[in-house]
Amino acid sequence: MSAIIITLYFVIVVIFLSFGATIVFHLLHYKINRRVSGMISLIYIIGAALLLISNFILFQQVAWNQIFSIFKL
Amino acid sequence: MFGEINFPGQHDDEQVILFLRRHWFIFLMRLLLVIVSLIGLVFVYVFFNLLSSDFSQSDYFNLLLFAESLGTLFIWNLFFILWIDFYLDAWIVTNERIINISQKGFFNRDISELKLTKIQDVTSEIVGVIPTLLNYGNIYVQTAAEKERFAFYQIPNPNEVKNTIVQLQENEQHHEEVEMGQAIRGEL
Repeated sequence: MSAIIITLYFVIVVIFLSFGATIVFHLLHYKINRRVSGMISLIYIIGAALLLISNFILFQQVAWNQIFSIFKL
Repeated sequence: MFGEINFPGQHDDEQVILFLRRHWFIFLMRLLLVIVSLIGLVFVYVFFNLLSSDFSQSDYFNLLLFAESLGTLFIWNLFFILWIDFYLDAWIVTNERIINISQKGFFNRDISELKLTKIQDVTSEIVGVIPTLLNYGNIYVQTAAEKERFAFYQIPNPNEVKNTIVQLQENEQHHEEVEMGQAIRGEL
């Protein structure tokens, strides 16, 4: 069960990171205003990193086996 | 004034006169989606805590926090996707031409330009109560060569922008006529 959960979580994180990479690419590639683009990219990266770390900590704190024990009849 | 502004294909001596994006109210309307999502997350948290007084002691409390955190991650992305869509849609008026940069989704970007001397007619319109109160609207630029109108959508102060474009077009036209006259007289 835990392997399935970890795989699912990994897929979700990969989806999030792929969106994140696209966002940063757009901000840095189309340099209409370099200062604004740089600042927004920095805010995005710092925020996303903090959210991802906190999400990973919360993921580890969930008692997955106890939660899925209700399906074991 | 627009020293920080750069765009692909900018000429060396080209000056940016106006740099326009959609009115902030348009972004605010899109931002409502993010605000509603955040309110939804708060509502779910409060709902489960009210449902059971000892919910915070149960195994499901951490699951709820994890789900809320996951939701926040995707709302964070959604905010920046909306912001990019707003930020990368722009109209640039220079002393030579008008450039329309249009971002549709992530991987669809159109850049079109129009020389000021090709402008035949400029129309501005403000339609509706909120656009009238906040002074934003559309500008349509009719050209001699193209069938399609060059349009600026939901930009602030459309009447002032229209006047500026007309003024620039007249200046550019005059400049071209002077150059042509000099060329005919053999002064160039």
